[in-house]
Amino acid sequence: MLGAESAASVIALIAVFVIFTLLNPRFLTSLNIKGIVVSASISTITGLGMTLIIAMRALDLSVGSIMGFSAIVAAQLLAAGLPLWLVIFLGLLIGAGLGLGNGVLIVVLGLPSFVATLATLSMILGGELLITHGETVTIHSPEFGRLVIGDVLGYIPAAALVALVVFGIVWIVFYRMSFGRHVAAIGGDIGAAIGAGINVSRITLGAFTLIGLCAALSGLMTGAELQNADSTIGAGSELTAIAVVVIGGTSLMGGRGNLFGTVCAAVLLASIKAGLNVANVSSLYEDLVFGSILIIALMVDGLRRGTRRKGMLVV
Amino acid sequence: MAGLGNELDQPSLVAGDASAVAMRATGMRKQFDGVEVLHGVDLELRAGEVHALLGENGAGKSTIINLLSGRLHPDDGHIELLGQPVSFRNPMSARRAGVSVIAQELEVVPTMTVVENIFLGAEPTSYGLIRWSEARRQVIAVLQELGVIADLDRIVGTMSVADQQMVEIAKAVVGRFRVLIMDEPTSALNLAETERLFKVVRRLRADGVAVLYVSHRLWEVFDLADRVTVLRDGTRIMTDEIARTDLETVIGAMLGSKSSLAPHAHSSPHAVPAPVTQGLPALQLEAVCCADVLREICLSVYPGEVVGLAGVLGSGRTELTEAVYGLRNIDRGTVYLNGVAAETSEPKQALQHGVFLLPEDRKLEGIFGHLDVRENVILGYDPTRNPEVPARERGLRPISFSAERTAFDQMRAALGIRCSGPGDRITSLSGGNQQKALFARAALAQPRVLLLSEPTRGVDVGAKEEIYAAIEAFAARGIAILVSSSELSELLRLASRIYVLRAGRLVAEVAIAGATEGDILKLMAG
Repeated sequence: MLGAESAASVIALIAVFVIFTLLNPRFLTSLNIKGIVVSASISTITGLGMTLIIAMRALDLSVGSIMGFSAIVAAQLLAAGLPLWLVIFLGLLIGAGLGLGNGVLIVVLGLPSFVATLATLSMILGGELLITHGETVTIHSPEFGRLVIGDVLGYIPAAALVALVVFGIVWIVFYRMSFGRHVAAIGGDIGAAIGAGINVSRITLGAFTLIGLCAALSGLMTGAELQNADSTIGAGSELTAIAVVVIGGTSLMGGRGNLFGTVCAAVLLASIKAGLNVANVSSLYEDLVFGSILIIALMVDGLRRGTRRKGMLVV
Repeated sequence: MAGLGNELDQPSLVAGDASAVAMRATGMRKQFDGVEVLHGVDLELRAGEVHALLGENGAGKSTIINLLSGRLHPDDGHIELLGQPVSFRNPMSARRAGVSVIAQELEVVPTMTVVENIFLGAEPTSYGLIRWSEARRQVIAVLQELGVIADLDRIVGTMSVADQQMVEIAKAVVGRFRVLIMDEPTSALNLAETERLFKVVRRLRADGVAVLYVSHRLWEVFDLADRVTVLRDGTRIMTDEIARTDLETVIGAMLGSKSSLAPHAHSSPHAVPAPVTQGLPALQLEAVCCADVLREICLSVYPGEVVGLAGVLGSGRTELTEAVYGLRNIDRGTVYLNGVAAETSEPKQALQHGVFLLPEDRKLEGIFGHLDVRENVILGYDPTRNPEVPARERGLRPISFSAERTAFDQMRAALGIRCSGPGDRITSLSGGNQQKALFARAALAQPRVLLLSEPTRGVDVGAKEEIYAAIEAFAARGIAILVSSSELSELLRLASRIYVLRAGRLVAEVAIAGATEGDILKLMAG
């Protein structure tokens, strides 16, 4: 669990904290740190789901849209007066349903995951705009908000607890259940997986449903924190999710997944984002910074796998 | 002890009981695209025996393996497992019935650990959670039984191929199989690893498992197997106990006399080619060594000569032509072209030196399957050697279709390529015509040295003669030709001298005059 990649993230995290605190002591306030924790918790949840998908050597580009869609539907249901627990339940169900839909496209139509989820990204976004007519839906539910930013044990945001529970569940599913091992096997060598009798279709459907669920949860939490929902929720989150997985040490080639690394990377990225904010760096530079980190992470991943061959030698 | 294949349901299967049949296939027939590749083959595997399956490429070994393991369905015939008729829907059902295959391309997940791989798809669970402790216990027991030590948490991708193979065997053992099919298991192993594998196979045999051992390494087969079956062109030629047969008989069965063109049918005004040994050899190999595959090869081919290369599969025949052409690294020794030491570490360099190879497997390495005949002929040679010939690699210069057309028409006429036009897809041509198209490409390349690997494989009898004529025409133009072939009659027909390879070494140089197939067979077998 604590591999070299996680160690690198932790070291980077310490460095980031030191640097940004030096740049502006306000970085180290409890308000800022709580913000980091909430932000990291939300991106961790989707990141954990994405870790499984990438371990399966697939991609889900529609998570951002699923996030927004769930948040919007939840907001509208709340406005319609449904009880909170039902709203949360339905929101998650929708996410699972959308994820399952992705899985169906991939399994039944045989579309590569990249292509299928690229399409659903747009389709779901379109759905969001249709429902909201481009407007923002306000949420009047402090109770909902407390589930995310409310304090547990005095100073830990509830979001962290949610993330911890999700981490526990995903950890068990990935390492201690056949389903999770089969997800990794499919990513490692699909031929061997099929040869071992693994039902690739079933596992694929399950994995994409799972990440749909995670994305919905992240979306609901975002909506609860902001106390409103519109189509900007989740926009671009798919890239953050993928970045978090790769920087956390999971290889895009599949076959393995570093869940703890994903968490570390989520915290790291959230800290950097907050740090740039506090240091008054324009948010335009944010993407530049994230992109650079991602490139470095990918380079490291590539070097570690070290594939260099001379021509095509017949051996 | 957990799962070692000796937890047998039927008491009649006892270790070493040679009369108990584990698996029997009768009258196996299979066709692909209208061509029958297996003509009613019978195969019987007894419990507690190592049964070797031999045959040249294309004999039908892979097809039989796929039929027995459930990967393919037979068009006719039936299979019995432990006396019960079975019909496998897919490899998984065959596996569950107790038939396991260890393929040449290992089926392990390189990113997962030894334990995870061994139990892939069969993880022991309770209440949905995997019981890793139970899995580990079983793995340790099985590995101990096999006499193999392994770190259970080692990532399989970091292990040697030999060790990965052990993981696959352990996987099969845990799955409690009765029949183990091993396809070329030693192709990637060194001597020590091979010995270890043999020890494991002998243990499995002692436990009553039926092992079908497919290999082209005849000396291994004679070392390990109890019985041997030889296939040739989709037919079972012989089955016998190893103790009652010998290498020469087996090789003879594998090769046979394939062509109806017996050596005496020189009806055309073509005389037996006389050795030409004046001046500088066009191609000369001096103590050439290639990893484990070729050792101290010294040979020479003179301009205008046709020299043959004989040897069983695995003797290094194919590898030799690949090495000269730059498809394989030469570790030691020198290749001389026209007396000058030449560097051929890439086909591109070989082509620049005037060496051209017609590969053994034209489907994979020769033709451009998605292109038409004309492009297949025009593409694929070095245009800088021959500026008059139309070539595509000329940067921004426009393609001269008319020049290409002319060149193609000339070749087509010269070689008798039967197609309705230059725009025909190459794959619509018969094997013989595809091969002729490749010869046309060779002709355009105007090589000084022509390497031919199985030049008439998959070619009908009529086209064969035409190809032989083309080869003789090339020789008449002063091109040095080295022909590697498993058809001895072909070599005797074409060559003036034949080099015989055995286990990577050149064991003899035979002059054609007075040589017979039997002589060469003896030399190949050793």
